[in-house]
Amino acid sequence: MSDGVRLGVFYTIVRPEEKAILAAAESRGVAVVRLDDAGVTFGLEPPPGLPDVVVNRSVSHTRGLYAVHCYAHYGVPTVNSPAVVELAGDKVLCSLRLAGRGIPTPRTVVALSPEAAMVAIDRIGYPAVLKPAVGSWGRLMAKVDNPEDAEQILEHKSALSSPIHSVFYVQEFVPKPQRDLRAFVVGGEVVAAMYRRSTEWRTNAARGGSVAPAPLTPELVELSLRAAEAVGGGVLAVDLMESPSGLVVHEVNPTPEFKALAGATGADIAGRIVDYAVGVARR
Amino acid sequence: MTNCPECDATVENHGMVLGEVFPCPDCGTELEVLENAPFTVQPAPKEAEDWGE
Repeated sequence: MSDGVRLGVFYTIVRPEEKAILAAAESRGVAVVRLDDAGVTFGLEPPPGLPDVVVNRSVSHTRGLYAVHCYAHYGVPTVNSPAVVELAGDKVLCSLRLAGRGIPTPRTVVALSPEAAMVAIDRIGYPAVLKPAVGSWGRLMAKVDNPEDAEQILEHKSALSSPIHSVFYVQEFVPKPQRDLRAFVVGGEVVAAMYRRSTEWRTNAARGGSVAPAPLTPELVELSLRAAEAVGGGVLAVDLMESPSGLVVHEVNPTPEFKALAGATGADIAGRIVDYAVGVARR
Repeated sequence: MTNCPECDATVENHGMVLGEVFPCPDCGTELEVLENAPFTVQPAPKEAEDWGE
């Protein structure tokens, strides 16, 4: 079935997701080349022994982005492609693309200084949500309820040294039920979806929210596939909220976790990723 | 088996693969499998700002 395809797995740490991918490859007879993101080096010429395709599972957006560019330079296709990782891994670029494709997404204003961020928050209105442009798991996100909160949060962000905190991504707070939705897209198909529930406003499973299978309604499938296609397609987790006016897409994740989703739905997501990657290698 | 580099507790390998991350059963420190034979662990990489999905 694998036709001798050698599958590269580029990773930071082996979590249940990476372990499942390794096991799925083994069960399909697909040879795996393990690529530890802390150990690899990239020259300008293709090295010998390259795999036929690389699945990017690095938890570091920076490492993953440079790696997929390097593999693409060597002529090795990656899942996901450099363009997809670059775009979907950056909330600003992703929001621009979603809006450009007419996909419902929360109102968003970007600012490049703390002073402009106050203006951005005023434009969005209170409560607003302030997110880092890069990163996930709900880390360093803040719900801003009033101008006093805004000033304090912006002061704290300004004290952080990383350049990424000089980009202020401000989004409307969407009044949603105490849950959001995650749809997992592989190629042109939604393979599973789940609700992520939490009494906290952040519903990320990584923050301890509970999960439950979600029905693949026509609206969910259509919107998820449009969002995935908008960023370039591949293996993507589309996060959606149930706003008073219908579903809105707030994130498209290019190196998605799926332990909770696979557990909630029974879907063989690791197997689907391996099958998709083998198909990419054959193109 | 080996010992946790943080608390020195005994840590056993229950079918873990190279690079796998697991908590020390005693102190909870996240450990990473460095080698399987001999079984060797080290503290797992710390979460960085650009980590995510």
